[in-house]
Amino acid sequence: MKTAEKLNDIFRTVFENDEINICPEMTAGDIDGWDSLSHVNLILAVEEGFSIRFTERELLTFKNVGDLLRNIENKLGAAGS
Amino acid sequence: MLFYTWPFLCFLLIVLPAFFALRKTPFWLLGLIAASYFFYGWWNPYYLVLIFYITVVVFILAALMDRCPVENQKTNLRARLLRFQFNDRLVKTAFILFILGSLVFGGMAWAGPQTLRPFAGGLGLIMLLMALGALYGSREIWLVVGLFNAGVPLLFFKYARFISENLNAVLSWLHIPAKLPDASALMPFGLDYLLPIGISFFTFQAMGYLIDLYLGKTARERNLLRFANFVCFFPQLMAGPIERAEQLLPQFRQFPAICAQNFTDALSLFLTGLFKKMVLAGWLALYVERVYAAPQTFGAPALILASVAYAWQIFFDFGGYTDMARGVAKLMGFNLVLNFNHPYLATGLGDFWRRWHISFSRWILDYIFMPLQMRWRTWRNAGIALALVVTFLVSGIWHGAAWTFVAWGALHGLGLAGTFGLERSAFYRKRVPKIVKQFFVFTFVTFTWIFFRAQSLPEALLIIRRIFTAAWQDPQIPVLILVLVGLVWIYEFLCESRFQDVLKTGFVRVGIAVLMVLGLFFSSSGGSAFIYFQF
Repeated sequence: MKTAEKLNDIFRTVFENDEINICPEMTAGDIDGWDSLSHVNLILAVEEGFSIRFTERELLTFKNVGDLLRNIENKLGAAGS
Repeated sequence: MLFYTWPFLCFLLIVLPAFFALRKTPFWLLGLIAASYFFYGWWNPYYLVLIFYITVVVFILAALMDRCPVENQKTNLRARLLRFQFNDRLVKTAFILFILGSLVFGGMAWAGPQTLRPFAGGLGLIMLLMALGALYGSREIWLVVGLFNAGVPLLFFKYARFISENLNAVLSWLHIPAKLPDASALMPFGLDYLLPIGISFFTFQAMGYLIDLYLGKTARERNLLRFANFVCFFPQLMAGPIERAEQLLPQFRQFPAICAQNFTDALSLFLTGLFKKMVLAGWLALYVERVYAAPQTFGAPALILASVAYAWQIFFDFGGYTDMARGVAKLMGFNLVLNFNHPYLATGLGDFWRRWHISFSRWILDYIFMPLQMRWRTWRNAGIALALVVTFLVSGIWHGAAWTFVAWGALHGLGLAGTFGLERSAFYRKRVPKIVKQFFVFTFVTFTWIFFRAQSLPEALLIIRRIFTAAWQDPQIPVLILVLVGLVWIYEFLCESRFQDVLKTGFVRVGIAVLMVLGLFFSSSGGSAFIYFQF
């Protein structure tokens, strides 16, 4: 499964909404229930799902879903190479 | 210079025409700085040094931070120290200047005039820290050095006396004869130790810029005049709103567009603010002050009503100030952020903080809560609860160096930590009636305001004890104030009801404006300083 699809599944599970289709420009305002508290659950689910770990600085700099996805792909790429 | 006083009106009558006259010249930014410095200096010219210091230091440190690579790069400390090999000339120059500065101030602390020694010692230490920053040269170091530098005046002027008093109490309790000097002994040139108005606001704004720059959320401002305006812009200098760099800085790039709509919006904001402050907050204060001056002599109804009245008073006082600040900025074509959004209609404590003092709560949410929450994320809900408590303790202390504010912050933190799970549950969101949730939030918030308003912790506890135990006597509340609170409550509810469109019709708006002007004419409450100026 591609990274974006897997990430989409995680979004659907965390926000309990099977109609979510993520895109790079998406931000917290676009998804119902995505606030600072559910953000933690999302990050934890992503870290568990991809077996990666973000630094706090990275977590504070994500501006949208695209930033998150790029960071995951970079981490997976670095781990795979 | 308070917004509703004659000196401010005269100031505005000179500043506004001058500002618009300079619109086609490159001097409008300089003119705006001069106006802001005059505005602040009117209160205390010596403390202009603080604004100037924060402006220059943060500007320079931001430039130095910008010279460091984003990704951590190993610095060759040995080469820097032994062979004086810096890759960047600016950083090298900064290192030399900071070392020289620390030597000069260190020397002054050692052998300078007696009154200047503590002050020179402090500056020498800061210079040494900055030299270390240049030596290590990473973005993290500059962030820490920058936050420390911007925070030192705030720490000193707001908390030094509180810290030394409390430490001295601990020392005497332990029977240790040592005693820390009072903060006023450290003032240079024998100046008075006064809390600089607005210091908590402009310090947080400058700190926010540094953090945003560190996180790559904003670009560095390369023009010192624009940056100076960002720090000292007079409409929001005294008590916010605390602006974000990416919101306010771009507005100084070019002269704001002039349009009639700005003037009408500005006047309507200013009139609303004036009415809130002079009529509503002013009248409510009369009753609140009478009851809170001698709480032991009043019965439970008076204490309850005075606490409710204070909840509205502080909202109208601070909300009124913010409206006026936004109105003054709008007169010149600048937009300041919304700071209050019907906070007493909140349906949860989290919701309350998204509506009350929004610019400040966003600041503590983004820069204190989020990093802590992320750091403790593996602890799940316990981590969130702890982050909430710590964040709101800081919020309490930000408001003032007193145990009453600590208690107020702790209550909000614990309240949020205890209810965030409930607020997110389907039961609370769908089954509990809205009015019940609003009543709960208002009651809790009003309860916490008792700590905020009381002179001391024992007094706050006395008031709470008397609310539950004292006799039910006549509260002696003027009928006018009861009617006022009732009307305001109805108005607030209408704002978020299905009748809200009625309030927006021209007829109702003109009617409200006329009533506000009449209220201002017949109000004899007089004015007092804004509550939030003390923070």
